[in-house]
Amino acid sequence: MSELSITDLSKDLRSAIENLESSKNLDEVGVVVRVGDGVVWIHGLREAGYNEVVNIETADGIVEAFALNLMEDEIGAVLLGDDSGVKAGQSVRLKGTVLEVPVGPELLGRVVNPLGRAIDGGPAIVTKQKGLVEREAIGVMGRKSVHEPLMTGIVSIDAMFPIGRGQRELIIGDRQTGKTALAIDTMINQAKQDTGVVNVYVAIGQKFSKIARLVDRLKKEGVMDQTIIVATSPSDPASLLYLAPYAGTAMGEYFRDNAQHALMIYDDLTKHAVAYRQMSLLLRRPPGREAYPGDVFYLHSRLLERSAKLSDDLGAGSLTALPIIETQAGDISAYIPTNVISITDGQIFLETDLFYQGIRPAISAGLSVSRVGGAAQTSAVKSVSGNLKLGLSQFRELASFAQFGSDLDESTKNQIERGQRLTELLKQPQYQPLSVWQQVASIAAVTNGYFDSVAAPKIKDAQAALIAKLWATHQTEMTELDKGAKPTAETLHLIETVARTVAKGFEG
Amino acid sequence: MASRLSRRRLATYIADGFVSGTPSKATLIEQLAGYLVESRRTKELGLIVRDIEYQLAEKGHLSATVTSAFDLGAQTLKTIEAYVKDTTSAEHISLTTLVDPDVLGGIKISLPGRENDQTIAHQLTVLKTRFKKV
Repeated sequence: MSELSITDLSKDLRSAIENLESSKNLDEVGVVVRVGDGVVWIHGLREAGYNEVVNIETADGIVEAFALNLMEDEIGAVLLGDDSGVKAGQSVRLKGTVLEVPVGPELLGRVVNPLGRAIDGGPAIVTKQKGLVEREAIGVMGRKSVHEPLMTGIVSIDAMFPIGRGQRELIIGDRQTGKTALAIDTMINQAKQDTGVVNVYVAIGQKFSKIARLVDRLKKEGVMDQTIIVATSPSDPASLLYLAPYAGTAMGEYFRDNAQHALMIYDDLTKHAVAYRQMSLLLRRPPGREAYPGDVFYLHSRLLERSAKLSDDLGAGSLTALPIIETQAGDISAYIPTNVISITDGQIFLETDLFYQGIRPAISAGLSVSRVGGAAQTSAVKSVSGNLKLGLSQFRELASFAQFGSDLDESTKNQIERGQRLTELLKQPQYQPLSVWQQVASIAAVTNGYFDSVAAPKIKDAQAALIAKLWATHQTEMTELDKGAKPTAETLHLIETVARTVAKGFEG
Repeated sequence: MASRLSRRRLATYIADGFVSGTPSKATLIEQLAGYLVESRRTKELGLIVRDIEYQLAEKGHLSATVTSAFDLGAQTLKTIEAYVKDTTSAEHISLTTLVDPDVLGGIKISLPGRENDQTIAHQLTVLKTRFKKV
């Protein structure tokens, strides 16, 4: 028997395939029947598959579209570019692939459109790999329960609604309540705490001026090097807005599948649903509630299901998602908000009233929840924030009662005062995420009563002094605490001693 | 009013009739014309003809169009016919030639639903798109 060479076999097979391809060389071709509003109707192309890319030959070059309506006599495809050059009668060819985008570390630090093309004025992006825009989510056996923390650096979130790697946590609230700010702070914290988590920020229909400001800020904070921004503006076709989150997820999945961790931010899925509604209506799909098509739930569920914590066999990578939803007048029972609330593993609800009272981040302690993050909370933070959420909710209830009368017993007064101090403590300026030890020391100082002598308006100053003093005098212990393990009795005693000393300077 | 039939079903009916010979070609044309007028779908005639071509091609009756910038010689046409026969396995091939200076050079063989475009105009379009992407 002659010697078998796998290299030769592979070469022979490739050449046989090439011969077959070159001998036929007949492309499946159709013709544009009509076009308008970014949707093209094509006659022919009977072998076209769902989501398959088609090339339309126009005078200005080839314009791509992807097939979404496969009907008996014609195909409805959504254009990925300008429709001004597309005319009835033009030839349409099957590309032979479904939508793919470039993926890989080459994209880090870049701003791209949903097709993976650079829009930041930098050089063209060349990657070694491509990822499918639409891809089935990982199965049950390929997953592991969420157990590692994804620190946001925002005290109220890390203490009350902890997020784990692989979790989907919705950020929901009215316009101008700080939804994007929360997401950006989380991205910044990944660089500040050197977590190694890659950020993928998907801007859906955002003004390019806003994206430019975001890029500037991320560069200033040193986060851009571990961030990919997928940007679409309101002037982009609805097809690009629709594709953006899927394309971004494909980019994030590369890191997840290579045993790394990535954080997806979809800003925001309300605009995404609107873009999909526009496309669906133009494709003449039957409208349902609020004119959204029947599969608008599936639109978001299939997207968010791709965020997961992978099993050890698959490398234990993770893809965490922070989708953002904008509500109208705080109505979280509207169609799209309820859909996404039911898909995600919890939500952070931002209230307009709190925002204008100066409580920022304006997180509603009563309506926010993290369903799986508890298992992933850092032991250090968990040890000091046990009943923080309950205490805060009780305080807000008591505070509303206290407005009706001033004759309160001593213990209620104390509870209200501590609640006020807690509220002050949880206020956090933008772009200033806190590390684990800073959060532990701050929470312990208030919840354990070390700051009981400090007036509420001075809490932030006292907190800053405490952090500065602890770092100056006990750097080793704080570095140890920052690793996340439950603080020892000595460490807690040390925090108490320093906190009580600091409190003396802010009495009143 | 006649119920709405898909173009594919209409084309299949006509193509079957053409191949089998029953009813006669004239009757089939009359029937189709009558149906299109009654259902106010005369605008779809061009698409229905394309569908009929497609159905006929599947039954071995292929009509191909060869487009070139200049007249092609008999030998070239013979080679093209052999190529079409080889690639489609059609029994009956009718070749139509078309001279279109806009293709600049090369040839384009158009079959129902398929095409082999080796014209310079097509190559230039592909090239233009590649440059745009970069």
